Amino acid sequence: MTAGATRSARSPVRRWVPWVAMAVVIVAVLSVATFTTRSAPTAQDRVNTISTTIKCPVCAGESVAVSNAPASLEIRKEIAEQVQQGQTDEQIRAYYAARYGEAILLTPSAEGINALVWILPVVALALALAGLAIAFRRWSLTEDSSATDADRALVASALAGGSGPPADPESPVDDDHGEGSSR
Amino acid sequence: MNVALGRAGVTLGLAAALLGAVTVAYGLLRRRPDLVRLSRVYAALVLLGGVVAFIAMERALITRDFTVKFVADNGSTKTPALYNVATLWGALEGSIILWATILGGYLMAVVVKFRRRLTDPLVGWALVTMLLVATFFFFLMAGPANPFRTFSPPPGFDGPGPNPLLQNHPLMAFHPPMLYLGYVGFTVPFAFAIAALVTGRVGEGWLLATRRWTLIAWGFLTVGIILGAWWSYEVLGWGGYWAWDPVENASFMPWLTGTAYLHSVLVQERRGMLRVWNISLLCATFSLTILGTFITRSGVLESVHAFTESSIGPALLIFFSIVVLATVVLIGWRGDRLRSPGRIDSPLSREGAFLANNVLFGAFAFVILIGTVFPLIVEALTSDRISVGVPYFNRMTMPIGLALLFLMAIAPVLPWRKASGELLRHRLLWPAWIGVGAMVLGVLLGARGLAPVIAFGLGGFAGGSAGRQLVLAARRQGWRGLVGRANGGMIVHLGVVIIAVAFAASSSCVRQAEFTLQVGQSASFSGHTLTFEGVTTREESAKTVQQALVRIDGTGPWGPSLNRFANGGQTIGTPSVRSTFTDDVALSIIDIKGSDAPTLTLRVTVQPLILWLWIGGGVMALGTLLAVFPGRRRNPLDPVSAPTVAAAPPRTPEPSAP
Repeated sequence: MTAGATRSARSPVRRWVPWVAMAVVIVAVLSVATFTTRSAPTAQDRVNTISTTIKCPVCAGESVAVSNAPASLEIRKEIAEQVQQGQTDEQIRAYYAARYGEAILLTPSAEGINALVWILPVVALALALAGLAIAFRRWSLTEDSSATDADRALVASALAGGSGPPADPESPVDDDHGEGSSR
Repeated sequence: MNVALGRAGVTLGLAAALLGAVTVAYGLLRRRPDLVRLSRVYAALVLLGGVVAFIAMERALITRDFTVKFVADNGSTKTPALYNVATLWGALEGSIILWATILGGYLMAVVVKFRRRLTDPLVGWALVTMLLVATFFFFLMAGPANPFRTFSPPPGFDGPGPNPLLQNHPLMAFHPPMLYLGYVGFTVPFAFAIAALVTGRVGEGWLLATRRWTLIAWGFLTVGIILGAWWSYEVLGWGGYWAWDPVENASFMPWLTGTAYLHSVLVQERRGMLRVWNISLLCATFSLTILGTFITRSGVLESVHAFTESSIGPALLIFFSIVVLATVVLIGWRGDRLRSPGRIDSPLSREGAFLANNVLFGAFAFVILIGTVFPLIVEALTSDRISVGVPYFNRMTMPIGLALLFLMAIAPVLPWRKASGELLRHRLLWPAWIGVGAMVLGVLLGARGLAPVIAFGLGGFAGGSAGRQLVLAARRQGWRGLVGRANGGMIVHLGVVIIAVAFAASSSCVRQAEFTLQVGQSASFSGHTLTFEGVTTREESAKTVQQALVRIDGTGPWGPSLNRFANGGQTIGTPSVRSTFTDDVALSIIDIKGSDAPTLTLRVTVQPLILWLWIGGGVMALGTLLAVFPGRRRNPLDPVSAPTVAAAPPRTPEPSAP
């Protein structure tokens, strides 16, 4: 098969056909995945979700979903009752925050100094990306140092004479594909 | 006897490490090769000191010598043999012995491997650095975390035994040593980085000299982390395997920076760029292992793994500060030599992808660092107590993880220097269709929600890219297409993809419920039927085990149990898991009431694809081994960059592959 030859003969429009088809499939699949649900979350699912966000009051750094300490079992049971009574997730969380203090919630609030924990990583990432963009801009402005004839002569003499034999003529470079093979 | 032997070992190790560092450094400064060559002797003595301390402690544990305080605190005549041996690393002081012994081993390995270059200043200064690190850890054993304190046991004394959670699964015998082999292993490349700065030989020599050492350390760390997740899944009984616990985070941060280093080092090898960045990444990796030890072992953060408070905290914090300060000062001092003239032509190139990789891994590590220490910062500033837990980490790391998967799909097919759109379209078409196939398959099998389905798609895409590279390499070189760094790396990528897909599936489709059953009753949950058949009770040396017999879909019986430990009166559940390639049913007992007609309260967790997490870990370990295996030998004079126009005609971007 001469994939290269047929490829170059194709018109630009034809080249994009598989990618457009792929985009259509992706959009279709993602909308199915987002807008159809298997079933509404059961009461038990809600209890599980809420309990992963509430810390076990007596153990070290575990959520009540994880811990099997008596206090956690009690809170899980209590959450199940609150869900049964029709309280929202936020109401239940607020209840525990009022009862045990803010530290019972494993998701820090986005208010005051606590907001930093959410903002700092985003700011850091943005700064890093901006730095990268500036670096690329500077690199694109600098002159590309191209090899001079003297450089080429040096390389040629090293390859020809030098201590090592010249590369095998069958494979002039060990990296045939420019893909950084087994080095 | 054991105390004397152990203290002798610690003293020997401390003296040898300190004297060795001073002697070798003096020899290097005064150009006295005879002194520098003594590093062999000192390394052997440090290893000997560590091994003697290790043997003394194991001997004390095995013979239940309660005159050693560590044994009195953590040992017990009732502990089974395997866990008795593993108790050494089950508590702070003992784990420092393991750390120092492994460091001695690496020191000796470096001396043996570089035996012909011992007088080379690069190797000499690296050994000085390692000896100084060893000095610190032996100092910990001599002072703040002395494992050989004495104790006078009253007649008939028996220790409490190790934490019950730590004597509940054989993985405990393997997970910590693997993790420590990884942690300590990063000392070697770190020492060479420091040596490169000290000698001013900041070129690529030290990178090439340490690339296998880094890979091996990274491989051990990877295996250690995955074994830890497995242990947590098999032992803790909440149906999960990763809880963003501070100790897990402490092991994961150096893994992230180490992974970033493994990638960006390729840019330096090929283009001579990013010298400061690579040295910084290595030092970050090493100092994060120290910081992690500080965070988790000093008791500043509460964590299920944290050992009791001890005076080791300040020592670790000072050592951490010294490491960071020394690195910064050295980099500043060598600033002129570290500047490299190169440039990166296009963001759409292999090196551009490596830069993006580094930004993402850096952000990942930063999120985890912030999340882990943030409660401390807030408490220090406002004296409010807050918690940062699983929901935070999941939400913040998920986009980074997806971006990394995307990069894993694109980067392997990118050429160095500059890629054209045409080239990318050609090389990525099939991997992209594999990704689409994975998405469709996931949705057909019932996956819902944007994030998991995107994760499946990107996982398939990345797996397709890695597979493409492997197929091309195998076609070109036969079986050798599977070994060497680039090809082994692609196998590691496949392992990462397997883990990512399993993680996305298991965390998005987890179903959990509690049931209370009488003997003979059944319950059905999430497509599985559970039948409670009865309870057996047996006495073991350290505990009373109550085991419930439960059939899952008629298989089994599976036996989750409750262990009541004699010492300390703790009750620990041991879950029982039925694993298949499609899903796991994990059972853990919450309570058993009554003895004649027992009532069982059972927690059931059903999660898909869990088994693939461990399989993916195995694939990553295999890939690392293959990457360490020497690839095709390169003639040192072969051109490293793409040939210039004058030297060779421009090549077509791709051979016409059938």
